[in-house]
Amino acid sequence: MQMESRVTEEGIDTSILVQPKKSKEIFIKKMMTQKALIAMSFPFLIWLFIFKYIPLWGWSIAFQDFKPAKSLLDQEWIGLEHFKFLFTDPNFYRVLRNTLGMSTINLVLGFVTAIGLALLLNEIRHAKFKKLVQTISYMPHFISWVVAASIISYSLSLDNGIVNIVLLKLGIVDEPILWLGKETWFWGINGVSDIWKNVGWNTIIYLAAITMIDPEQYEAADIDGATRLQRIRYITLPSLKPTIIILMIMNLGYILESGFEAQYLLGNPLNLAYSENLDIYVLKYGISLGNFSLATAAGIFKTVVSFIFLFTANHIAKRFDQPRLF
Amino acid sequence: MFKSKIFMVLLMFVLLVSVAGCTKDESSSGKASKSGDSKEPVTFSYYNAASPGKDMNTNETVIGKELEKQTGVNFKVEYAVGDINTKIGTMIASGKYPDLLVPDAALPKVLDAGAFIELNDLIDKHAPNIKKLYGPYLNRMKDKDGKIFFIPMEASQGFIANPNIDQGAFWVQRAVLKEAGYPKIKTLDEYFKLIEDYQKKHPEVEGKSTIGFTALTYDWRFFALSNTPNHLAGYPNDGGVQVDMKTHEAKVYGNNDDTKRYLKELNELNSKGLFDKEAFVGNYDEYLAKLTSGRVLGFFDYGWQIGQAEDNLKNAGVDDKRYMALPITFDENTKDQYLDPPSFVSNRGVGITVSAKDPVRIIKYLDNMVKEENQKLILWGIKGETYEVNDEGRFHRTEEQIAKTSDEKFREDFGSKIYEWGWPRGNGLYADGNAWEPRRQAEVAQMSYTDGDKKLLEAYGVQVFSDLFAKPEDRPWYPAWSVQLEEGSKEQIFSQRQTDLQKKYYPKLVLAKPSEFESIWTEYKKEYNALDVKVYEETMTKEIKKLIDLAK
Repeated sequence: MQMESRVTEEGIDTSILVQPKKSKEIFIKKMMTQKALIAMSFPFLIWLFIFKYIPLWGWSIAFQDFKPAKSLLDQEWIGLEHFKFLFTDPNFYRVLRNTLGMSTINLVLGFVTAIGLALLLNEIRHAKFKKLVQTISYMPHFISWVVAASIISYSLSLDNGIVNIVLLKLGIVDEPILWLGKETWFWGINGVSDIWKNVGWNTIIYLAAITMIDPEQYEAADIDGATRLQRIRYITLPSLKPTIIILMIMNLGYILESGFEAQYLLGNPLNLAYSENLDIYVLKYGISLGNFSLATAAGIFKTVVSFIFLFTANHIAKRFDQPRLF
Repeated sequence: MFKSKIFMVLLMFVLLVSVAGCTKDESSSGKASKSGDSKEPVTFSYYNAASPGKDMNTNETVIGKELEKQTGVNFKVEYAVGDINTKIGTMIASGKYPDLLVPDAALPKVLDAGAFIELNDLIDKHAPNIKKLYGPYLNRMKDKDGKIFFIPMEASQGFIANPNIDQGAFWVQRAVLKEAGYPKIKTLDEYFKLIEDYQKKHPEVEGKSTIGFTALTYDWRFFALSNTPNHLAGYPNDGGVQVDMKTHEAKVYGNNDDTKRYLKELNELNSKGLFDKEAFVGNYDEYLAKLTSGRVLGFFDYGWQIGQAEDNLKNAGVDDKRYMALPITFDENTKDQYLDPPSFVSNRGVGITVSAKDPVRIIKYLDNMVKEENQKLILWGIKGETYEVNDEGRFHRTEEQIAKTSDEKFREDFGSKIYEWGWPRGNGLYADGNAWEPRRQAEVAQMSYTDGDKKLLEAYGVQVFSDLFAKPEDRPWYPAWSVQLEEGSKEQIFSQRQTDLQKKYYPKLVLAKPSEFESIWTEYKKEYNALDVKVYEETMTKEIKKLIDLAK
C-alpha cells in the first residue's frame, strides 16, 4: 500500500517539475520555501544510505571464496568463479526457466484478476454484500503460506481432496487425478494458488484509484445514455491506466521474484523439475552448503536482471508517451 | 517556532540512533572469576540447536538443582526456534555467542567462524572424567592440527542394542503377520508377497483403499528412500556409500545394481497397484497421518521418524494396526546390518564459545556431570522414585515409574528433557553392567511391552524386538555420514547434486510403465556418472581410512 501511494505522489511531483521555467533562482527559492520538507526527508535519506547503499559493499564477497571467520582483507579473491559455476550448471537454466515462467503467469493472471474483481466490486451497489465479498477475498492474504500450502495440497489430494471429489461426482474424470504429481501442471497450480491468496488484496489499490475518478464523468455518461459496460470501458478503465502502467513497470522489476514459500512447500520429488525456482536453488547450493559467495553471486544476477527489466519497461512507457516511474 | 520544531525532530532522531547504537548486550554473563574451584553461584548461558524445547533455568529442575549444589553453576537454557542456520548465522554475524553452544548441523559454520575455544588444555587440567569417558575417542575429536574444539555428543562404553528398533527396518502391519500365522520373513520378495496376499483379501480399510507399501520422500527425509538399497544389500546406514569390509574402499551405490534392483521391485509393485501413488507428493505430516490411519501395510523407515505414529496407535490401543520391524535383505544369505554398530558421531557436539568469560568453571561443570553417579541421576533418575534396584544390582522400573518418566511434564520438571541430550554423556553400559540409558535396559523394555507386543515376541521366540536382527559387525569408521565434508567443496556439491538427481529420477523410475524402466535407468545412470563421483569416493575412502587408523 505504502509503496503504491508513494508512486502516485511521485507522479504528481514529476508533473510539477516538468514546468518549463527552470532557472537557478527559482530552484533556490523553491528550496527555501520547502526547507522544512527537505529537512524532514533527511533522516530517510540517511536511512536509505545506511541500509540500502552501504550493504552493497557486501557484493564483494561474490568474487571471493568467502569464509566468515576471516577478516575482509584475508579473504581469497577468486574472480568470477562463482558466476562460472552458476552459468555452467544446467540446473541453473532450468530454475531460471521455472522462475520466469511462474512469475510471468503470476504477473499476467494477477493483473487481469485484480482489475477484473475491482471493476466488478465497484459496480456492486449493495454495500453489505460488497463488504462481505471484499472480506472473503482478502482473508487468504492473511494466512501464512505454510497453512495455505497445507490447505492446497489437501484439497488436491487423491482420496479426500475436494477437487477430485467434485470432478468425480460431476463425471468429468473417471479416476482421481494426482494434481501435484503432474510436473507440467505445477506452474498453473502455483498461479491459481497465488491468485486465490492475493486477488482480494491486490484489488485495494485499484479500488482506491477508482474512488478518485470524478463522479461527474459518470453522471455525464448517464445523461448521454451510456450502459454499465460502456461506462467501464470508456471511463473507469482509461482512468485506471496510469495506475496499471506504473504497477506493471514496478512488477516487471520483480520478474525474478516468483515467490519462495509456495514453491518450497508445494514442491515434491515428482514436480521438482518444474517447481524449483531461483530462490530454492540459492538456498540449496548457497546458504545450506555455507557457500555465501554463491548466494551473493545469484543475488547480483537477480538485481542486474531486475534493473534491465525495470529500465526497459520504463523506456517503452516513455516512448509511447505513457505515465512512467521516472 | 517552526525552526525549533525541526530541531526537535532532528534531535529526537539523533538521540534514537545513538541510543540504539549504544545498547550493548548486557546478557553475556558469568563473572570473570578466574578461580575455577569456587562454588559461588553463577549463571551461564546455553543454546541448543539440536532440539526444540522450553527455555528455562537448569536450577528449576531436580537434576539441575542437584548439579548446582555440587558446582554452584546454573545455566540459562535456550532452544532452537525455526531454522538453525539462520540463528547460528546471526550469532556469527554479531560475534555474540552463548557461553555453551550446541550448534547441531551448523557446527562447521561455527568452527569456520572460529567461535569455539580450544579445549585441549582445559580437558587436560580440569576434566579427568571427560578424559576417561571420551578416552578411546580423544584422537577422533582432534582436528588436523591436533586441537579439540568441541566435545561430541556421546561416547559409547561397550555395546548394547536398543531392545526396540529406533533405526532402519522394513515395517509391516501386525494384522498382516497375524493373518499369515507369524511367518519368518527374510527376503524382500517374501515381504512383498506377504503384503500382496493380504491386500488381495482386504482391499479396503474403513471404506478407504488399503495401501500396500509407502515411502517417506519429503524434503531432507528423502534419504529414507535413497538409503534403502544399502540396507537390503546388508550394509548399515553409512550415508551415501557402501564401505568394503576388507579393502575399506568407499563406493557410492546410487548408480549400482542394488539401487536398480530395489527400484525395479518398487516399479513392479506399482504396476500391481500396491505402491502408494501419493508417496512422492505427501509431506511428513501426511505420511504420519497415513501410517496412523491403519491403511498402510508396509514401508521402510527409521524408527525415530515414525515415533509419533507408533505412539498414537499404541495409546489408542489398536494393536493390530501397529507395526513390527523386520530385518529384510535382498537374499536369504545376506547378513542384515540394520542395527547401529557402536558408533562415534564426530560431527555433532557441544563447545565453549569465545564469549564465555569463565571456561574453567564450565568445563568443570561438564566434567562433573559425566561422573557415573551423575549420569545415572540424569538418565535413570533417583532410586526409589524413578527406578528400582534388585538384589543382583540390576536396575529396573515399575509400571508406574515407566508411566511417570514418560510423561512430558514430569520430564520437563525433573530435567530429563534438558539433560538427556546436548551435554557430554556416555552410552552403552555402566561399570556395573546396567544399561547407560533406561530404554536400552531389557528389564525396562519388557516391562513397557503391551499384551500385543508380548504375543508377537512369543510367536517369534525372542525376548526383545532387536533380537530378530543380526549383531552389528565391527566398523570402526561408523557412521560414514558423520564425515565432515568441507563447506562448498566439490564433494559437498556432489552430495547435493546426487540428491537432486535422485529426487528427480526415483519417482519416474518407480511410477513408469515396467517396459520403460530400463531406458529411464540408463538415462539416470548417464547423468549420475557425469557428476563428480570419483572425487567424492576418493575423499570418503581417505577419511574412512583415517578414522580406522585413529581407532587403532
